[in-house]
Amino acid sequence: MFRRSSYASVAAGNAAGSGQQQNSGPTRSGAFSHLVNSSTGSQTSPVFYSNQARQHARPIDADGHHNSMSTSWGRGGPLPSYGSQAGYLNSYGVGAQDGTASSFFVPSYLRGSKYAEKLEEVHRARLATQRDYRSNHSSNAGSLSTSSSSVNLHKMAPSYRGMTHDIIERAPPFVDEPIAPWPTRWSDLDKYQQLEVEDGGRQAKYAGSQKSHDEAASVRADSPMPRQCGIYYYEVTVVSKGKDGRMIGVGFSGPKVPLTRIPGWEPESYAYHGDDGQSFSNTTSGKPYGPKFSTLDVIGCGINFRTGTAFFTKNGVYLGTAFRDLKTDRQYYPTVGMKKPGETLRANFGQEPFSYDIDAMVAAEKAAIMADISNIAIRPNPSRITDEKTFLHALVGQYLAHDGYVETARAFGEEVNDEARALANDGDVDVGYTEAEEDVDAINRQKIRAAILEGDIDKALKHTNAYYPSVLRDNENIYFKLRCRKFIEMIRRCNELNAQCHPPTPPSKRSTASNGFSNSANTDDYDFEMELDEQLGVHNGAPQLNIDSMDTEDELEDKEAKLSELTDETIRYGQDLKKEFAHDPRREVKRALEDTFALIAYETASNSPLASLLETGGRVPVAEELNSAILVSLGKSSSAALERLYQQTEALVSELAEDGGPGSFINVRRDILL
Amino acid sequence: MSSSTVSVSAATPTQHPFQMKIDMIKPSKAEINFVVMDYLISEGYPRAAQKFAKEANLQLPYDQQDGIHSRVEIRNAIHAGDIDTAINKINDMNPQILDTDPALHFALLRLQLIELIRTCTATANADITPALNFASAQLAPRAATNSGFLKDLELTMSLLIFLPSENLQPQLDELLKPGLRRSVADRVNEALLLSSNKRGEARVRQLVRMRAWAEETARHQGKDLPPALPLGLQVSPGADGVMDDAMVP
Repeated sequence: MFRRSSYASVAAGNAAGSGQQQNSGPTRSGAFSHLVNSSTGSQTSPVFYSNQARQHARPIDADGHHNSMSTSWGRGGPLPSYGSQAGYLNSYGVGAQDGTASSFFVPSYLRGSKYAEKLEEVHRARLATQRDYRSNHSSNAGSLSTSSSSVNLHKMAPSYRGMTHDIIERAPPFVDEPIAPWPTRWSDLDKYQQLEVEDGGRQAKYAGSQKSHDEAASVRADSPMPRQCGIYYYEVTVVSKGKDGRMIGVGFSGPKVPLTRIPGWEPESYAYHGDDGQSFSNTTSGKPYGPKFSTLDVIGCGINFRTGTAFFTKNGVYLGTAFRDLKTDRQYYPTVGMKKPGETLRANFGQEPFSYDIDAMVAAEKAAIMADISNIAIRPNPSRITDEKTFLHALVGQYLAHDGYVETARAFGEEVNDEARALANDGDVDVGYTEAEEDVDAINRQKIRAAILEGDIDKALKHTNAYYPSVLRDNENIYFKLRCRKFIEMIRRCNELNAQCHPPTPPSKRSTASNGFSNSANTDDYDFEMELDEQLGVHNGAPQLNIDSMDTEDELEDKEAKLSELTDETIRYGQDLKKEFAHDPRREVKRALEDTFALIAYETASNSPLASLLETGGRVPVAEELNSAILVSLGKSSSAALERLYQQTEALVSELAEDGGPGSFINVRRDILL
Repeated sequence: MSSSTVSVSAATPTQHPFQMKIDMIKPSKAEINFVVMDYLISEGYPRAAQKFAKEANLQLPYDQQDGIHSRVEIRNAIHAGDIDTAINKINDMNPQILDTDPALHFALLRLQLIELIRTCTATANADITPALNFASAQLAPRAATNSGFLKDLELTMSLLIFLPSENLQPQLDELLKPGLRRSVADRVNEALLLSSNKRGEARVRQLVRMRAWAEETARHQGKDLPPALPLGLQVSPGADGVMDDAMVP
């Protein structure tokens, strides 16, 4: 560790100087870089939308949006971030029959929110179901192609540390209750009859005859404005104000409000009218509110559910609060109304960038809530001797002991005690943290975990069966995952041997890589070392090449023999595995098998689309799941206090989000954990 | 420790619906581990961080070592009352921190004054001149600019009158307790972290705070919650297991 750092700093000059380079390397090493660098953009959030954007979009994002990225992707910047533009790409020119599935988009101001994440999960699940349906119903769908596409789908949600999400180890997202979608288009049904909805639901045009003073033609969007957003916002462009009028109303209304009236005039409807610039709520008498609007003006309409207020914008300018005390238990649909023939309005429900910087408003709302949170005093209860620091010591210490990090727990206990001793100058102050007593179980669990993390699944299975014979019997899914993991580890070993037998010939590309060294070297110490090795190789290796290969010929043969032996063994093991679980009806088991077996199809699986399966990071979830199962079998709680703290926080915040309260603006995992 | 983990469901035969919502949330171990590592590094537990990197198969940021060790040294110096050393080391790390944060600088100097007073008054007829000199040279000019500083300085100086004494007023007694050193050390650590990155506070602290805020807000809004949300953490034998109510203001 020290050695690497000194190399890096010597070779790269100001090694840790600029943050953006952190982003172009493998991301795991950058995970703690926020503690090192002053201007890292490496808090980059995962890009959800498209596969091809996944790897490449990340550095672009970070470079282009250094400041905005740290709070949440793309939020706060006047332009949409590049990565998220993939979200827009999908939304156009899609065949009607597939429309609902593929026109999924996330409004910019909701990106990174918990609510958007949930809807994305639903969307992905729907795509997966469709895919299953298709693959089950098309006779010539080879198993290879379907399974590789399934991997791509799963890769849409990468962790930026690249270790948590894995198709085999991760349970399918659990969707507990239906999640209300956001509006996506004008409704084909919920409209005045002579109003035409065009362009995939984006445009509404009045095609009837001129309306009398009282009447109008209105249309509502397909879904109500969801409270979970906290703030919901949409925009409408006046494409044409029709012949000689601009009696246009933009706003929102309840589901039962008559569509023969301009919004704002009926109870439970609210709108901003273009002809007089007035705001109307539930009545025909308006209040002076903003400027008039007409052709080519962009009118925005938003509700802040937390404060129960609504506002409008015109051409990107905020016009102030229009309505207060909105009822919290009603559903409000985006609604527009018009009167003159030919009047045409085009809606933007988030498919395109907004003209008003709504992202900034949402970010400010969130910042205010986060400030409230950081100001909350964790006052120690006077009747107890604990304070926040002691509490945190206990929390972390208990986690380490609970999860079997024996050595860490010991070191932590020592350091905390040292700290307490240094502080207690008289030596009689209560040492807050008492070292966890170590039990045999903790050590056994640590052994098992270590074995899995080293990739030695057999050892883990042996230990588990010896110490906790019931665990694998009772947790068949974990047993299955371990077996799969073993298969993957065997393939890994084959790959490694294969690479040694057939070392990739260093093409000229490599030397350019080391020429471009100064640009890329400090991205990651691993990269760096590789390149260093290459440089050395170029130096010493070239003249001695022949001798080297002579010397190692025997060895090579040896290795090749080993490789073919191992390959046979792997295939045999795979067949056994398949036999054992072939008749398992569970979908996730089937898919896991499919994906795992697809790995064999590639000669060098590490370059295949399935390479992520081979990552050593995939060992972690298996190890943790087994550890939890052992804890449960011992009658202990499967989760430590720290985990419960997280669970409670998440649950409490989502409780505060359901009705559009302050929780809507918080995404616990993204805001704190990542 | 093992007795501290209580099964959630075992105690209550009928579960509160909110408890089920809690149980449905499955935190990823890798992410929790990340939070723990973040805590060990930002709060300065280098040995534990190293062990944890090994045991949990995490990567330690390679040039973290220097920073964490300096921060630990500074913390230890403050804890031991050696403020001079601490200030020097802080300036070695980043000379601008104290210049840009007068309150922090003042807090450190006041701590130094307290230590001086402590030594000056250790014996009945010791010389208090060093403390007086230090106060007038270092603290008085700063106190003149800020009424809060002035108040703190006055309070601190009154120690000279009362010490040595067994029965100080609580306000004065606080000044002599290790808690003050600890809180100043924490503030220094936070400032050092902030000066090298954006997040000054360990994630787990934010999590604790967010949980406290969320529970308070939710109860205030009359959400249907169980009367208590225990973490199952026993802080110390005397504290009968519940830390949660100590977290709610």
